[in-house]
Amino acid sequence: MLDQLLSLFDSLLKQTGLAHLYWGNIVMIAVGAIMVYLAVAKKCEPFLLIGIGFACIVVNIPGSDLALPGGLFDYAYKGVSLLIVPPLIFLGVGAITDFGPMIANPKLVLLGAGAHLGIFVALILAKVLGFSLSEAGAIGIIGGADGPMAIFVTMKLAPHLLSPISVAAYSYMALMPIIQPPIMRLLTTKAERNIQMAQLRKVSRLEKIIFPVIIAVIVNLFFPPVAPLVTMLMLGNLFREVLIVGRLADTAGGTLLNLVTIVLTVAIGSTMSAKTFLSVQTVEIVGLGLIAFVFGTASGVVTAKIMNLFLKTKINPLIGSAGIASVPIAARVSHIVANKENPRLYLIYHAMGPNLAGVFGTAISGGILLALLGVK
Amino acid sequence: MTPIPDNVEGAFLISIIDFVLSFVIISGIGVVLALLPLVNRYWAIDDNDLKGGH
Repeated sequence: MLDQLLSLFDSLLKQTGLAHLYWGNIVMIAVGAIMVYLAVAKKCEPFLLIGIGFACIVVNIPGSDLALPGGLFDYAYKGVSLLIVPPLIFLGVGAITDFGPMIANPKLVLLGAGAHLGIFVALILAKVLGFSLSEAGAIGIIGGADGPMAIFVTMKLAPHLLSPISVAAYSYMALMPIIQPPIMRLLTTKAERNIQMAQLRKVSRLEKIIFPVIIAVIVNLFFPPVAPLVTMLMLGNLFREVLIVGRLADTAGGTLLNLVTIVLTVAIGSTMSAKTFLSVQTVEIVGLGLIAFVFGTASGVVTAKIMNLFLKTKINPLIGSAGIASVPIAARVSHIVANKENPRLYLIYHAMGPNLAGVFGTAISGGILLALLGVK
Repeated sequence: MTPIPDNVEGAFLISIIDFVLSFVIISGIGVVLALLPLVNRYWAIDDNDLKGGH
């Protein structure tokens, strides 16, 4: 009788997740918990980290089949793997973005290209470490500091690396206020940091309406692989700028953006199972992501300094680092560093120019990368 | 198209081409944006005409 009872309890225990828990699950549950803590207690990118962290916790509980084929998180992941979610994110982003600062000062778009050196430093180092060229390209794009673009390129080039790449990309974007300022101060003189920039011209409604149409045509003509992202970004922006379809702009930039953010964050978190995430490869990718951000920040500042050699009206090189994309975090960092230097410096609107150009810089770099690697 | 070799030299090649090309394309976009204010000479849109909604 006792033997039967013990056998029954043993069977019951083996069916629970507890019997299959191993140290890797516990580590990843802790990682997820730290993400949720950072989001709630430190208000660090809560819109992203709560979903990612919670999904990471749940997916590392053995027996919870949410991430297995047919599970709820699996369907969320399908939205990412089928490249439906990233373009919808860009639709919402376009609907809430004012491209006026970029249109007002066109020469600053060069910073959107200059600040992407980090992509290629990380790409080359990844190849040296033994990753394939496709994997190195996907890792390099972390340096573009654009979550949806990083996911888009990764799904095309190296879908098995989605988890570490997306976590690295979003984590470093959140850590920009810590990563960027020391590099910006190291590469600039006090006089350069105090450069006042002239007020930007007013951009007309007509220009703001024509802008998304022209950009969609140009970028899609030259880089069809990134057409889904750029098209949706510009469509959302057109909804915003024409003013007559306020409901569509509000939905795209509000409810829809919130909905796909939930799906995206849960999908990313669901890929963080211990068996796939805890590896030397993940450590390498996280390290390369940091290198990409550091070099991107530095190259943006240096590009601004080089431009100043040729410009009569100087630009404050602190806005160069904003060319790394990650709207509007990088622009805010440029403004805060400048403002701490001189409380009369108000650079946020100027920094938004290269910050927005960085989005196109990442799209163009990603598009060229996909074209060179023969991916459609 | 000749495939890029999957080695470090290939990584350098792809990086140089991509970096330079992205500057070229972004500069082209910059030129288009610099010409954009010209449209204001021929047409103007009043926000109030659009804000009425549909």
